[in-house]
Amino acid sequence: MALTRRALLGAGAASGIAAAGIAGYEIGASSSDEEAVAGTAVPFTGRHQAGIATPAQDRLHFAAFDVVVDDRRSVQELLREWTAAAARMTAGRPAEPSAPNALLPPTDTGEAMGLGPSQLTVTIGLGPPLFDHRFGLASARPAPLQPLPLLPGDELDPERSGGDLCVQACANDPQVAFHAVRNLARIGRGTVVMRWSQLGFGRTSTTSRSQSTPRNLMGFKDGTNNLKAEDGAALSRHVWVGSEGPAWLRDGSFVVTRRIRMLIETWDRASLQDQQETIGRTKTAGAPMGERHEHDPVDLRSGAIPADAHIRLAAPDTNRGVRILRRGYSFTDGFDDELGQLDAGLFFIAYQRDPQQFVELQRRLGANDALNEYIKHTSSAVFAVPPGVRSGTDWIGRGLFEAPN
Amino acid sequence: MRLLALVTAAVAAALLLASCGGSDDAKGGKKVSIALTNNGCAPAKLSTPAGPTTFEITNKGSDKATEFEVQKGSEILGEKENITDGLSGSFSLNLQPGRYTTFCGQGTPKGVLVVTGKAQKAQANPQLDAAVRGYDRYVRDQVVALRTATKAFTDAVRAGDVEKAKQLYAAARVRYERIEPVAESFGGLDPAIDARINDVEKGQEWTGFHRIEQALWTKGSTNGMAPIADKLDEDVGLLETKVDAASYQPAQLANGAVELLNEVSKSKITGEEERYSHLDLVDFQANVDGAKQAFVLLRPALNRRNPALARTVASRFGGVDAALAPYRRGVTFVDYSTVDPAQRRKLSQAVDALGEPLSQVGGTIVAS
Repeated sequence: MALTRRALLGAGAASGIAAAGIAGYEIGASSSDEEAVAGTAVPFTGRHQAGIATPAQDRLHFAAFDVVVDDRRSVQELLREWTAAAARMTAGRPAEPSAPNALLPPTDTGEAMGLGPSQLTVTIGLGPPLFDHRFGLASARPAPLQPLPLLPGDELDPERSGGDLCVQACANDPQVAFHAVRNLARIGRGTVVMRWSQLGFGRTSTTSRSQSTPRNLMGFKDGTNNLKAEDGAALSRHVWVGSEGPAWLRDGSFVVTRRIRMLIETWDRASLQDQQETIGRTKTAGAPMGERHEHDPVDLRSGAIPADAHIRLAAPDTNRGVRILRRGYSFTDGFDDELGQLDAGLFFIAYQRDPQQFVELQRRLGANDALNEYIKHTSSAVFAVPPGVRSGTDWIGRGLFEAPN
Repeated sequence: MRLLALVTAAVAAALLLASCGGSDDAKGGKKVSIALTNNGCAPAKLSTPAGPTTFEITNKGSDKATEFEVQKGSEILGEKENITDGLSGSFSLNLQPGRYTTFCGQGTPKGVLVVTGKAQKAQANPQLDAAVRGYDRYVRDQVVALRTATKAFTDAVRAGDVEKAKQLYAAARVRYERIEPVAESFGGLDPAIDARINDVEKGQEWTGFHRIEQALWTKGSTNGMAPIADKLDEDVGLLETKVDAASYQPAQLANGAVELLNEVSKSKITGEEERYSHLDLVDFQANVDGAKQAFVLLRPALNRRNPALARTVASRFGGVDAALAPYRRGVTFVDYSTVDPAQRRKLSQAVDALGEPLSQVGGTIVAS
C-alpha cells in the first residue's frame, strides 16, 4: 500500500497532473493543465543523451535487448525508430503518429495518455556483443567496452546480465517509464527480443544540488557525495568520453548496471551500531561518523570511520580520485520463493568515462567492504552510451553506423 | 482505488482520442452509443441504416452487463467483452440490412437491432474476392477432414482402444486448431468441442476433446467416454453445417490469422492446451498453418498495398518455422513437457515477432 501511495504522491508532486487527471477524467484535461504538462518535459536533443546528468527522476524501467536479426541495416533502422519514438514520448506525445484507420492496432499503447511527460528520459546504450562479427562493427569497438571481469563477491545470473542494447527509461510516474519501454519493445519486435528488465521504484541517488538525498532500502542516505549536474568540470573529467574515445562516442559515456540484492532479513537484525559502522554514516542524520551533519566533509583520518566502512572504501581519496556518477534505484521483485525472503535491493547504475573506473572501485569494495555481508551482486551489464542527438533527423548511434570504415 | 481512478483517466483519454481519430476518417461510418445496464443493453431496440457502424459502449454502474455482442442467429458478428463498471469500449461492423440480436451479459434480456436500407456493396476487388473464396474452400476442406478424423478417433474411444485413440487424437486436433477462430465465431460450439477443465462453468458438463484427452492420458481408460465421444461427433457435425452457411470478409481473414497466433501465445506456449497429452506443439503448428493460409491468400492484395509488409510477414513466418524445426519429429512433435523454459521463450518471441506485422495486414488491405 505504501508503494501505491508513494507512486501517487510522486507523480502529483512532480507534475501536478495526477490530481488534475483524477478530477478531470470524464472530460479530459483543460488548457491550463496542458501548459503544466509541457513544463515537465526534459529536452530530448542536446550534446549528451538525457537521463545521465538530468536530475534523477523517481522511477525507473530498465531493459536490455538482444538483436535477433543478422543484418546491420535492421539495427540501424531500429535505432532510428527508437530515437524518433523516444523523442515523442519524452515530450509527452504518443510513441508514433496515429494509425490511419481503426482496423489497425493503435500505434501507441495508450497507458501514458493524460499523465504528461513526467520528466521522462530515454537513454539508449550499445553493449559489447553488438561489436562482434554480426554487424561489421568489430573494428569500431571502443577499447574499454568489454564485459566486466569477474569481480569479488559476484553471484551473477547470466540470464539477467549483458545484452546487445539497453534502454533506461526514467520518469516521475512509474506508468510513464513502463510505457516507454513497452512501446520501444513493441517497435523492436522481430528485430530485438528483451533479454532482461528491471523496475526501480525509488531513486537512491542525487544528481543535482536541487535534490535532497534519498534513502536506500537499508534506510541510509545514499549518494550524498555523488557527482552533480552542476559540477560541469567534474562531469567532463569523470563521466563524458573525450578525445580518448572514438569520434562517434565523444560526449557519450559508459553505463554499468549491477543488480545488488540486499539480504534484508540479515540486515534487519544487525544492531544500529553495526549498521552505522558498516556504512560509515549515522542512520538518522546521514552524517559521516564523527560528524554531525549530512554534508559535513568525510574525514578519513579522524579514525571515526572504520577501515572497512563502505564510504571509506568508496571515497575518491581512497581510490586515486576516481569518481563515478551514480544513478541507482531501489527495486523489489517481490518474493524469492526459493529462500522465502523479500527479493529487494539496489539496482545500481553508474555512468563513467571508462568502465575501468567502476571495476577499480568494485575490486576494492568487493574484497573489503563490510557491506558485503548483507549484499550480493546478481546481475551485471555494461553499455557504451552514444552522445545526444542534435536535431530531429539525427538518431542515437548514427555516428557509429554511418562512419566510413 | 485512487490508483485505479488514475488508470481510468488514462483509458478515458485514450477513448477520447480514438473517437476524434475516427471522425477525421471519412470511412469511419456512423456511431451508435450503447449503455450497459442491469436491465440489458440500452436502448434495447435499435434501428440504424446499413453501412460501416461503430458501436461505442459504456458501462455506468452495471455489474451484470459487461459486454456487448451483435448476433445473427447464434453467430456472433462482433463483440466487446470485459467492459466493467466505469469502462468503455468500441468496435466496428459493416452492417447489412436485416434483423439482429444484441446481448449485453449473462442474466440480462436480449435486445434487437434492425438495420434498414440497401445492402452496402463492397468495392469490387478481385484479389480480395479470390482470397475470400480461397479461405471459404480451405475452411470447408478442414471441417470435412475434421469430421472424418474425429470419427476415427471417437470410434476408437467407443471401442475402448486406448492406444489407438491416443494415436488418432492429434490428427483430429490439427484440423480443429487450423480453423479455430471460425469455430469460435459460432458462440457455444467452441466451448463444447474444445473447453479445458477450468473453462467449464459450474453446473455445465465438461465435453469435447480435452475431456477425452484427460481420460486417455491420465487414467489410461475410455470408461464413461462413449457419450462424450457421441456428443463430440454431433458438435463437429453441427460445426460443419454452420461452416457451410458461413461467409467471410477480407479483414476477418487477417484478424483470424492474428487470433490464431494469439491462441499460440496464450495457451500453447504455456502448455495449457494439451496438458495431459503434451501435444501442444501439434496445435501450435496447426494454428500457424491456419494463419499462414490466410496470409498466403491475402498476399496478392497486400502486395499491391504494402509489399514491404508482405515481405516482413513472410520472413517472420519463416522465423516461426525455424523456431519449431528442432522439435519436429516427422509429422508430429516432441512431448512439450521436454521443452525447457528457455526454449519456450524462444518460441514465444518468434510468435510475437510474427504477430506484430501480421496485425497490420487487416487494416492495410481494406484501407481506402
